[in-house]
Amino acid sequence: MLKAPHWEMMIVWYFFLGGIAGGAYFTAAIADNFGSARDRAVARVGYLLSLPLVGACGILLIADLGVPTRFLNMMRTLKFWDPMSLGAWAVGVFGLFTFVSSVLSLSSLESHAALRRKIGLVGMLFGFFLASYTGVLLSNSALPFWRDARLMGALFLASGASTGIAAVTLIMFATGQAAGEGWGKLKRADHASMIIEAVLLVALVVLLGAAAKPLTSGHFAPLFWGGLVGIGLIVPFVLDFVGHRTRAVGALAAALVLIGGFVLRYVVLMSIQA
Amino acid sequence: MARTLAMFTDTSLCIGCRACQVACKQWNELGLEVPAWTGGYQNQNHFTDKTFRLVRFIEEPGGKPNGDLAWLLMSDVCKHCAQAGCLDACPTGAIYRTEFGTVNINQDVCNGCRYCVSSCPFGVVAFNESTGTAKKCTFCNDRIHNGLGPACAKACPTESIQFGFRDELVAKATKRVEALKGMGFKQAQLYGHDTGGFLGGLNAFFLLLSKPATYNLPDNPKLPQRNVVVDSLLSIGSALAVGLGVLLAFRDRGKGDGHHDA
Repeated sequence: MLKAPHWEMMIVWYFFLGGIAGGAYFTAAIADNFGSARDRAVARVGYLLSLPLVGACGILLIADLGVPTRFLNMMRTLKFWDPMSLGAWAVGVFGLFTFVSSVLSLSSLESHAALRRKIGLVGMLFGFFLASYTGVLLSNSALPFWRDARLMGALFLASGASTGIAAVTLIMFATGQAAGEGWGKLKRADHASMIIEAVLLVALVVLLGAAAKPLTSGHFAPLFWGGLVGIGLIVPFVLDFVGHRTRAVGALAAALVLIGGFVLRYVVLMSIQA
Repeated sequence: MARTLAMFTDTSLCIGCRACQVACKQWNELGLEVPAWTGGYQNQNHFTDKTFRLVRFIEEPGGKPNGDLAWLLMSDVCKHCAQAGCLDACPTGAIYRTEFGTVNINQDVCNGCRYCVSSCPFGVVAFNESTGTAKKCTFCNDRIHNGLGPACAKACPTESIQFGFRDELVAKATKRVEALKGMGFKQAQLYGHDTGGFLGGLNAFFLLLSKPATYNLPDNPKLPQRNVVVDSLLSIGSALAVGLGVLLAFRDRGKGDGHHDA
């Protein structure tokens, strides 16, 4: 006798783009701070990608409200135990970080670069938050399967990382920046996050047990197994393993990771609401 | 805080007249909605944005003390939980607790994010498309602030719905359940009366003639937000693992000191 909130396509897109924005930003910040000077291109693409995506996130969230003109009411309070409240604030604060980092990434002055690296270290925390809080938000509702999925936030974070890195990879490929060691580093980072994502996905489904049925054996099962597990995780791994010398194959694998990330949000949200 | 007010719904006295449902609709000006064909007298399967009181008609084979089919009637309503999931979920502060202990939604503040809808363990809160806000029983907030009981309790002809101070109603309900058991209603039980029980007690509590599941009520409803800390810690663990993975991939192995070159 429970009720679904009817968070549908706009929220699926928000979860997906928010994950990419967070993942791209913290990847950029890590590459910026701990990588070589040659990784600056990765950092710049990551920062510059996160900015418009956070903007899109804000628009999607506001458009999905029952009374969009009242979106600022979210700023009336701050509840530390409430993912929705913290999330609304985090989107705004993270948006400021992506803006400042993007502007600084266009400068070639070393003093600006030093400032950008420091800002990235702080902004990165909000990136991690944006990528994961949406899962915690679902796992602290009253609805079946969401409420039992203790690892949803952890999984969304790993998926945010893999999709964020995949998006940066694709942009590097499309803009002809795929040469050099930055590409290999991106691929290694994406593989690390995909392995963590796969482990968390297995753990989530195992821990859910019978509660995982809406995902694994219901109407959405083909999408879950084919779209997420197959196209989103296994195929990209195989492609990268077989074709690791070919940039185009690597780009294709990245595109499939993005599709998998979208399918994850779609099946999680829609399987119990549709 | 003033003394906590409550509604006690004694389902053993309900005759299914639905005066409460109609009085609620009229006082709160909830408007028309398309009737639901439920296979019986019940109209609307569940609470909606325009149905805050709902008389449920339930058939339970072998439910009577003599083994006959029991026809159970229950006037259901928002439970006004002492630990309310909707209230904890609300990011605008539109959902608040009144000085009487009831839970209300400020319609001028709610912006329709719908997190409360997914956070109610009883599926009470409903979204209204035309106002764009969340709706539920107000415990007739306007009436109780003017010395009147809720419209449903006022309209009930059998005192199945009683309104009053919580402690007095619980004492009354405890006596009533004992009396019913003496009459042979072995399954008679209170639901939500215990402030030490689930959700800190319900300020709209019930006397049931069968187990809660018969009435589609959860046996042990839990506060949805109880896992926020665990889930957040697991997410932080994931962030550390992913961050480390990305860091190891990007770390500058060409330079011994690991610092960036200009």
